[in-house]
This record gives sequence, structure tokens and C-alpha cells, in this order.
Amino acid sequence: MSSPWSNKLVPFALCASVAFTLSCAHRKTVVAPEPPSEAPAQATAIPAPGEGTTEVRPEPRVATAGHPEGGVTATELPANLEELNKAGYVKDAFFDTNKSELRSDSRDSLAADAAWLKEHPSVRILIEGHCDERNTEEYNLALGWRRANAAKAYLASLGVAADRIATISYGEERPFAMCQNESCWWQNRCAHFVITAR
Amino acid sequence: MRQRLLFPCVLSFAVVSGLPLSAQEEVYLKVTSPGLTRVMIALPAFPSRPGTDPGGASTLLATLRKDLDETAVVGVVPEENARLVVVAPGNPPLTYQRWRAVGAQFLLDGSLAGAGNQIVLEVRLFDLTSGEIAYSRRLQGAVNLAPTIAHTLANELVHLFTGRPGPFLSRIAFVSDRSGSKELWVMRWDGSEAQQLTSHRSIALSPAWSPDGEWLAFTSFLRGNPQLFILRPTEGYLKPFSTLPGVNSSPSFSPDGKEIAFAAGEDGTTDIWLAPVQGGTPERLTRKLGISTQPSWSPSGRQIVFTSTAGGSPQLYVMDAEGTNVRRLTFEDKFADEATWAPDGVRIAYTTLIEGLFQIAILDMRTNTRSVVAGPGNNESPCWSPDGTVLAFVSNRTGAKQIFVTDPLGRPTQITNEGNNVQPAWVAQVQ
Repeated sequence: MSSPWSNKLVPFALCASVAFTLSCAHRKTVVAPEPPSEAPAQATAIPAPGEGTTEVRPEPRVATAGHPEGGVTATELPANLEELNKAGYVKDAFFDTNKSELRSDSRDSLAADAAWLKEHPSVRILIEGHCDERNTEEYNLALGWRRANAAKAYLASLGVAADRIATISYGEERPFAMCQNESCWWQNRCAHFVITAR
Repeated sequence: MRQRLLFPCVLSFAVVSGLPLSAQEEVYLKVTSPGLTRVMIALPAFPSRPGTDPGGASTLLATLRKDLDETAVVGVVPEENARLVVVAPGNPPLTYQRWRAVGAQFLLDGSLAGAGNQIVLEVRLFDLTSGEIAYSRRLQGAVNLAPTIAHTLANELVHLFTGRPGPFLSRIAFVSDRSGSKELWVMRWDGSEAQQLTSHRSIALSPAWSPDGEWLAFTSFLRGNPQLFILRPTEGYLKPFSTLPGVNSSPSFSPDGKEIAFAAGEDGTTDIWLAPVQGGTPERLTRKLGISTQPSWSPSGRQIVFTSTAGGSPQLYVMDAEGTNVRRLTFEDKFADEATWAPDGVRIAYTTLIEGLFQIAILDMRTNTRSVVAGPGNNESPCWSPDGTVLAFVSNRTGAKQIFVTDPLGRPTQITNEGNNVQPAWVAQVQ
């Protein structure tokens, strides 16, 4: 896979285009990674400071652009996984700099994702943890791993079976937007959802 | 190390051979302050023995002169000064005196002979004060390996004066995206002879050498999840090392080469693990220390320095190799990561954050003091030369991320240009 930062001109174009999407879901994945084989059988919540991992929330019904309203049954979902992922049924969760704790907007987004996933019990997902470039490569790999699993743990706490969710970290290796400042860095600090089975 | 220097081998071809006429194991003159006390060596052209016409003579001498001039510990008497010296045949003390008069402390005298495709170099290093022979050596190899012969000799001279191997046969492994994806590459310490080691079209990260230069451990997304592999660069032989859940990143070989410390963990955790290189059950060394990553062994093999977020921000911690006696090392940094222990066992280079930019810092474990080596742009991923006198690091000061190598006074030279080049790992010699 071509690294987006190998060409100095591409980043600016990318930055401009991705800025409109407000999501990291639009990046093309040329080679979809195999779902991690060592996905743990049970979800263990990531202990995060000040975060009650056993917190039970009422199931929110959040109508957003990414969640088509009305009950869409599995048979109505696009047959093609690539199209399914483009449709934006599950939304990414974003993080503060250097943090893996879920912000309230991320929790809302994940709650909507959880509701949709429970309506579509055959769907399996891969959560990719991503980071901006402002740490060292290895630290970011670990931070992205924490983010992906924080999102997974939250979905599990909302009743999504943990064995439907695989996680992987890409650290800062596959940024969604390229620039040198916060105008796009925030887009790279995310738990990005990929539907791997419908 | 001494044995290895006697039988040098560059990548796979081991052609240069020879035995010292008088083995000199002890350090002849301990040079402790690089850049301040340079030993000056007179290096006149080696005469060819009558009746032979050795090829590669000029290459050999030029390479030797260039190598020695680049070291912190050895200087070569400038040619304009050397030209003033008139050798007094049959009167070595007078000759030595004349060499001393132009600033030389040692004289490397030798001769070259050619035999077919081979060249034979015989040298003696004279101490110009005592007249003693400090070192003598016979080196033989194919004509096209004249540079290797020179590098071997330069390495041994540096070893003689410092007790540590010179850098001249050393290689730097690194990660480059110049081919379109992050692959492992290796180059000479001055940036020449770059070779691509992997063509996985995936993501390769965090290369680390085994101490003997035989294996390169690294992280790859080759199979989807990040996993650790070990690669034998001379053969391209690749084998999986760790497939634990988690990041499987930042491998560090123990100084005896038998174990690898690395970072991994399930459910979002990242801890330091230890596993035998030959295979076996990985043992977890850290627990509940937030993110723990980037282990680096002390040269003694007794301790491991690593990064942990146990106190909030990433900071350096040290522990015994068994995972006990964990203590925090850095307190004045907002961020500390990528620690790497110097061969002297005293200094630890790492990446810190100063005014929003990464900078290289050096922590002296003896005095518990920190010095920041600030430069333009972001400067990160420090890596010691095998002799511990200079550092390689990554900087974006010229645009893309490039690898720089400092001279002994800390002045950096950019040694890569194409694409982004990161995560240097330096080894004395590739086996």
C-alpha cells in the first residue's frame, strides 16, 4: 500500500478533500487486513481514569446522517462490503490528543453504532485505532491499540457481543488526513470502524 | 568483539583474512574525551614491495585516511605537514623525531604486495615517543575489497585507542517508504550502499539488531495484525517471533543475544514482554503501568529502560531484567520516549518534547543529569553508534523525515534523502 506521505504534494490534496468528510471513514483501504485471529473471547473493559466501565446507559436512539433512519434489515444492506462501509452505518469515534478515554461525543456516536450493530446481529466489525503524528511511532501504536479497545469495550458494555468485534492498531502509520497542525490531526485520532462481515 | 574484528565479513562475503603478528588485546592509550584528545597518526603512502604491483593501493590508503579522519579519537597528520618530513634511513629515532615535529604521536608504517587477485597489507604502528611497536597486522583480501581492508584496519586502530570497535564496517538498518511502502533497508554508516531488505508492501517498523549482527527483529503488518519477525539479512530468511495479541512492537535484543524484550498486550494494554530468541513462552515483565513500550537493555544485561504512562504522560522507567525494582528516571520532561542505552552503560539517549518539538536528550545515569541536544525541526529516534561516540537520529528539519548522524562534536550530517527514512538501528557489523 502506498504511503500517503511518500509524495509531498498528495498530503495537501488529501487534507483538503478529507476535511469535508468529517470522518475517517472515507479513506480507501486497498488491502483489507484479515480480521485479527487472536480476538479475545470476552470483552474486558479498558480501565480508564475516571471512567466507569460498568456504567449502564439507556439505549439512545440517535438519528444521524450516518445512521439511516427506520429499520434497515440485513437483507437491505448493500451486498458489497466496500459499499456497505462507504454507506457509513457505523461512525468513527474521535479522541483528544494523547488520550484513549472516550469523549461524550464519542460515546454518543458509539451508542448509535451499538444500537445499529444490535439490529444487525450478523454484522462483524474491525475497529482500527489511529493516532496523529505527534508521538513516536511505537508509542502511537500502543495508543491506537488502547483507543480501538476502549471503543470495543464501550460497545460491549452496551450489549454488543465482544466476539463480533476485532481490534487492530495502526498507530500513526495510516493517517486519514495529512497536514502539520490540528486542522486535520483530530481526524487521525480515532477508532475507525470497518465492517468485515454482513 | 575482538574475534569478530579479526575475521571480518561484510554482508555475506568473508574474504578479507589475516592474523595479527602480535596480538594486542589491551587498550593502548585510553582516549576518554572524544574531540579533545585526538591521537595524531602519521600515515605515509605504503610502498609496494619490489616486483609486485598491487591494485587498489590508492583506494586503500584514501579509504583508511578518510575513515580515521572521521573518528573522534584518531587524526591523520595533514599531507602538507607529512611532506615536510624527510625520512632518515637507518636512523629510526631521528625519523620519529621528525614525525613528532609535525605533530604526529604514532606512525603507521607498512607495505603492500600484490599476488594475483589478492592484495596483502602489512602494517606496524610505532609509538613515536618510545619507539615501541604498538600494533602490527597483516591483512589480505581480493583487490576489489580494498575498502573493506581499509575499514578493518581503521576499526582495529580505533579499537586499540578506545577499547571499542570502530564504526567503519557498521551498518544502519532503518525503515524507508521510498519504494512506496514502509520497508526495511540497510546502509553503511555514512549513508552509502543502501539496500532494500523487505518487499512486503505492508508496514515494517522498529528494526533492532541482534548484538552479533546476524538477526534483525522488526514489527510487520504482513499478516494483518502487527507481529514480530526476525530476519536474517544476509539470506533474506524470515521467521515469526511473536504473535501475541497487541502491538508486538519495539524489540530489543539482550546483550547476550539470547532474549528479546518487546511490547505487546491484549485488550488495549501494552506491556513489556521477554521471550527467548530460539522460541519459548513469553514472560510478561510489566503490569498495570499504563502503556509500557520501547524497552532497551543496559549493556550489562541486568536492567531494561522503557517508556511508561504509569504517571500520566510517557516517561522513562528502569527495571531489573526480571521486571522487578521499577523506578522512574525522568521527571523534568513533558514527554520521554525511545530510550536507548549507550554502550558505556552510563548514558541513555531518548526523545523529549521541548516547546512542542521533539528533541534528543541524554540522561547521565551516574550524575542523574539531563542534557538536551536541540536542533531545528523535530528530532527523534536516537540510536548510538556501536562505539558509543556518536548518535544517529531522525529529523524533519529539511522537510521529510531523514536520518542524520552526528560527528563527535554533535554536528549532524544528513545521510538519507529519498522518501521518509526513520527508526535507525546501528550495528558494528552484519554477519
